[in-house]
Amino acid sequence: MRELTTLTYEEHGPLATVTLNRPGQGNRINIAMIQDLAAVCDHLEDASEARVVVFRGANGVFSEGIDFGDFDPGKLIDIHGFNKWEKIVVRLERLPKVTVALVDGPALGGGFQLALVMDQRLASPRATFHLPEVHLGFLPGMATFRLAKYVGLGHAKRILLCAPVLGPEEALRLGILDRVSEDLDQALAETIASFGPIHTVAVQLARRLLNESFCTQFEDALGNFLAAQHRSVTQTAFLDTLKRARETR
Amino acid sequence: MPGTRPRLLSIGTANPPRWYSQDEVLDLYHTTQPALRSLFHSGHIRGRFLYLPEPGPDGIPPLETQGELLDKHLKGAMEIGPLAIERCLEPMGLRPADIDYLVVLTTTGFLAPGLSAHLCRRMGFRDDCARLDVVGMGCNAGLNGLNPTANWALAHPGHNALQVCIEVCSAAYVYDHTMRTAVVNSLFGDGAAAALVRCCDTDSRAFAPEILGFESHIILEALEAMRYDWDSVSHKFSFFLARDIPYFIGVNAPIVVDRLLDRFGLKRRHIAHWIVHSGGKKVIDAMEYNLDLTAHDVRHTLSVLRDMGNLSSGSFLFSLSRLLDEGVVKRGDYGVMITMGPGTSIETALIRW
Repeated sequence: MRELTTLTYEEHGPLATVTLNRPGQGNRINIAMIQDLAAVCDHLEDASEARVVVFRGANGVFSEGIDFGDFDPGKLIDIHGFNKWEKIVVRLERLPKVTVALVDGPALGGGFQLALVMDQRLASPRATFHLPEVHLGFLPGMATFRLAKYVGLGHAKRILLCAPVLGPEEALRLGILDRVSEDLDQALAETIASFGPIHTVAVQLARRLLNESFCTQFEDALGNFLAAQHRSVTQTAFLDTLKRARETR
Repeated sequence: MPGTRPRLLSIGTANPPRWYSQDEVLDLYHTTQPALRSLFHSGHIRGRFLYLPEPGPDGIPPLETQGELLDKHLKGAMEIGPLAIERCLEPMGLRPADIDYLVVLTTTGFLAPGLSAHLCRRMGFRDDCARLDVVGMGCNAGLNGLNPTANWALAHPGHNALQVCIEVCSAAYVYDHTMRTAVVNSLFGDGAAAALVRCCDTDSRAFAPEILGFESHIILEALEAMRYDWDSVSHKFSFFLARDIPYFIGVNAPIVVDRLLDRFGLKRRHIAHWIVHSGGKKVIDAMEYNLDLTAHDVRHTLSVLRDMGNLSSGSFLFSLSRLLDEGVVKRGDYGVMITMGPGTSIETALIRW
């Protein structure tokens, strides 16, 4: 992998860790970070043996969101920059790994959005979640699309329009978080253990069908499920399951 | 810098004049069985362009004999084929006499001499135009044909090769109110598509994709999954589609696509445009969920299916044409074209703009 400037990447056996790290900058997301994330995705998709990828933030912050330093108020703002961010978010959402966000500090805007596309979200008591975008006159990316699926439309409207700073307990209660713990490393170890053997194809397809579940007609979803199920049951993971079932019968 | 690969310079498409909604077809043939009506509405298709006979005194189109169907195939082919060719050549400032190699594909009618000879007489192709007729290869044939077309273009730099897919699927219908024939009659539509291929242009300004390579895959365990049978009751060819086709194709699609991409050191994420044959809703689902494509990736595949049904060999060119009309393709973008059909075969091609 090429050298990364906005984040660090470590891989130990089945566990890869991506740490957002822009000291003094609140780990804010800029073009360089999007490019670094793309390089990490290339590696994870093509070369990595890791099964679980953890995303965390250095310096006591998860991420304070988009870095306005890349914008020049005198110039026409390039909407394609926003699209580059959405594209990398989708790519992270579809990684052939199980993903976990470890939030220990503020997760604002794009940082909150990043946490939302992970398969699981764990947080310390110091975590906060905040979407201030609408109060700043713009939109919190495709969090508009994803957030309501977690919390319901009513809470989502409040979180976008009233822009409360959510503490970890409220985020847990709303379904944004899966777990709050003082000991994040212990919580992470338990969460990873709970993923079981991790059959990548089944994980990817289950996640995809869930992500599509609020916006697909039932008949279309049924066709999609059958196509996905057929792919799953032709994988060795399920064939092994069948063999074991036969042996123990 | 002049290209050194054959390029797909122009596409023209055509359909019969009359479009029928799925309900219109059902009502025309007085199809009342709920299972058959439901089948017509379950496949994402709104309607199709078809050559259907005018209703007789009883209000139902008369049943056509195999001989009448063959005549209809030729007559229809000589209407939509020339239209597609004109629409392909005219924007390039070319006439049929400028074509040096003519490849014509059809699966919906058998005839000798082939459609290429009929097109020569009808449209003024030169009498020294080299020709190839590909008959009976089915929905995948568009890429089976494009392979020799591109290779001919590569071997004859600067000369014009034209491929024409002409399918009058309504000339392959059997109406007997059974599920077997309703599966076919509810799916296939009529259409023709022509593609101009030329290599080593001195003019490299034209924005047209280079054809980089092909990869084929035949699934012999599913040899009988799509086939013509002779129906000795109605005395007609009757096309059969097995219900497991989407699954055979889905499982095998990644094998052939990745084989194609590996040859060029590419990953699926490097492909900006997927041009997939509009085989049917289930087979498109299978492609999406086995190749990890999104609904956006197959938007034209789905919209061609919705508006026209399965046009057999020319379908993928209709999708490609819609992609080009969108104006989103950029120089350097890669595209993968995939067609699926009897064999059971999956054919693929890599292109780059």
